Amino acid sequence: MSTTIPPIAAGAPEALPYDDARMPLPLVQARTRRFVLRVIWSSTAFLVVSGVLGLLLRLRQGQVIELGDNFWYAVMTAHGLGAFIAWAGFFLMGITFWVLMKVGFPVRSFVLPELMYWSMMAGVVGIVLTTLLSGFGGSWVFLYPLPFFSAGQWSNTVTGIFAGSVLLAGVSILAYCAAVLQTCISPALQARKDTLGQRVGLTFGFGLLFPSRFKTDRGRVPYPVLPFAVNAVDMFLATLPFAALLVLNIVQSVNNGFSINVLLAGNMLWAFGHPVVYLLLFPAAATYYYLVPRYAGRDLVAGKAVAVAWLIALTMNLFVWAHHLYMNYPDGENVQQTLGTIMQPTTYALVLPSALSLFSIAATIYKSNFQWNVASKFLIAGIISWLVAGLQGIINATAAFQETLHNTLWIVGHFHNMAFLNMGLLIFGAMYAFLPELMGRGWWNERLGSIHLWGTIVGAYGWVTCQMIQGLEGAPRRWAVLPDQYLTLTHVSLGFLALLVAAQLVFAYNLWTTLRRSPFDDPTASFAGGTQR
Amino acid sequence: MMTSLGSGIAIGYLIFVVLGLIISIAILWSTRAGRRDGGQGVDLEKAERAEPWWGVFVVGLLAILLGLTIWQAPWFTENDDPKDVQVKVTGIQFGFLVQPTQVKVGQDVEFAVTSKDVNHAMALYNPKGQMIMNVQAIPDYTISRSYRFTEPGTYEIRCLEFCGYQHHKMIYPAFQVTA
Repeated sequence: MSTTIPPIAAGAPEALPYDDARMPLPLVQARTRRFVLRVIWSSTAFLVVSGVLGLLLRLRQGQVIELGDNFWYAVMTAHGLGAFIAWAGFFLMGITFWVLMKVGFPVRSFVLPELMYWSMMAGVVGIVLTTLLSGFGGSWVFLYPLPFFSAGQWSNTVTGIFAGSVLLAGVSILAYCAAVLQTCISPALQARKDTLGQRVGLTFGFGLLFPSRFKTDRGRVPYPVLPFAVNAVDMFLATLPFAALLVLNIVQSVNNGFSINVLLAGNMLWAFGHPVVYLLLFPAAATYYYLVPRYAGRDLVAGKAVAVAWLIALTMNLFVWAHHLYMNYPDGENVQQTLGTIMQPTTYALVLPSALSLFSIAATIYKSNFQWNVASKFLIAGIISWLVAGLQGIINATAAFQETLHNTLWIVGHFHNMAFLNMGLLIFGAMYAFLPELMGRGWWNERLGSIHLWGTIVGAYGWVTCQMIQGLEGAPRRWAVLPDQYLTLTHVSLGFLALLVAAQLVFAYNLWTTLRRSPFDDPTASFAGGTQR
Repeated sequence: MMTSLGSGIAIGYLIFVVLGLIISIAILWSTRAGRRDGGQGVDLEKAERAEPWWGVFVVGLLAILLGLTIWQAPWFTENDDPKDVQVKVTGIQFGFLVQPTQVKVGQDVEFAVTSKDVNHAMALYNPKGQMIMNVQAIPDYTISRSYRFTEPGTYEIRCLEFCGYQHHKMIYPAFQVTA
């Protein structure tokens, strides 16, 4: 099975290595490889656990198995955080450092990445303990004040520990953002005038917009740097109000006389709760920017428009949260209504980075001598899902449709379409593409990879489509037992889920057998020639 | 069974998905030509020049959608005109207090929705099982939403905002609309 990522066209800026005198490149490569592999195995273990939990949720909804009511909601809470943050988010946070190194931006210090890793691991342990063992079932958004109205199912102490655990995951995200900025805004930019202003400008795409004012010896900064850096700034800022909310939850857990305004708490939650989608999507976009040109055999077709789009993302991403609160328009409370009115167009503005990225990727593939293998097929499937889920996102951003869609299974179908069928397929594609060079051994069986691909696509699309139809029919979200009118489609979706699970078992077998293979004769050969195999 | 808005959303979405799939397949199909000529048969600079125009096109489409829909946001469609009857709906773990429990077809009914504890939502389902209203119930706040019933029958209120371990049992089964 093909194990190498083909090189990009000769002379492209993304092939330029950067050797930091403080830490020689081979040393950084070896340590980054070990670090990224550790994140990949940890996040994949979280996928297994959260995937099983997700299956239990749907089996109960289909009335196939029995689960205690509160346990179902505790499982739902663990599944949401586990799948979204601990699997997809964590994986993409880890792979960031590999992609950055490959485009000539090696990690400059491992202090922050290690903090990212260990705080996420500690946070996940706390979340598992408080949900599955102590019964915290407030959902992954734990909408205030629900954590303090458990109806006797969990204590305020458990709420405090849960909030602390999520806070640790937040610390992980903050450490990741800082590490990415430290890696990007660095000498690796090879700025002609090496000032902080020049470095910041180059990192955020000003070199594409004003090439005579922001010059680099690279010719231009590699495109993947843009989404990584934009995401780092946005997530850093977006995590802060959420961290404050978590601290306030902890305070209330020890002093029940303390409370927060419910609307304010909702705004603090969603100031993070929407941008966190981009903790997954932007690194995913960067990874597409890196991998697709290599399979297409040409540099990414992109110009100034992409730089403008990412600057829009940098600013607008912080001003879209209120679209999650469209339905909160209390009488006489004009602030929330005004926020809703403003944040429909700002949310629409966030379509631009996706639309222009898809255009660039499509133009890069168009009439190219594209190399088809399991990795590149997964990427293509993920890109098409990006388009499909993006269209759903526009619908969700439209306030006028909310009375039909809000808190229905349509929303659940949409975010599984985005998280699993866009980011998830990218993650699998990245595993097929990067693991050979990371592990120093090729995949065992390409045919099993194809079975994994098609089983995942058919299984997952069948399942999310059922959920979306149910949502349009008014099926409520977060119901342990759905009304009987939705039972038929739930059972149909279980058939698709069985196919999806079978495909993942095939993947697990392929991975297991691959891990048992002999490594390449010279594992370091994957680093021959600087940043390219 | 979908409402007319639900059906409209589904149809609009499907049209764009099919268009997107057709374009995607055409682009992927074009790589057959790329294989024959080594990927040299395309003017990449022309594609790069087209990118801003694609951006303008997308912005235009979104501006049209915004102009058509923003005035239909729930807070813009509600007015202060006096209504025939007000129904107070209060969510409390895990049930609804509804007063009065019966209205008539053709009346302008204002639902004033609030909560005594956590966030809930009042979703109203007609006798055919279609969701015809969806209003948040927020503690310390009230949201008013109006509706004129056209069909008599027994309507059901379900909670649509997750509110705890009996959330799926938070149903008011018998809101009556008489002829």
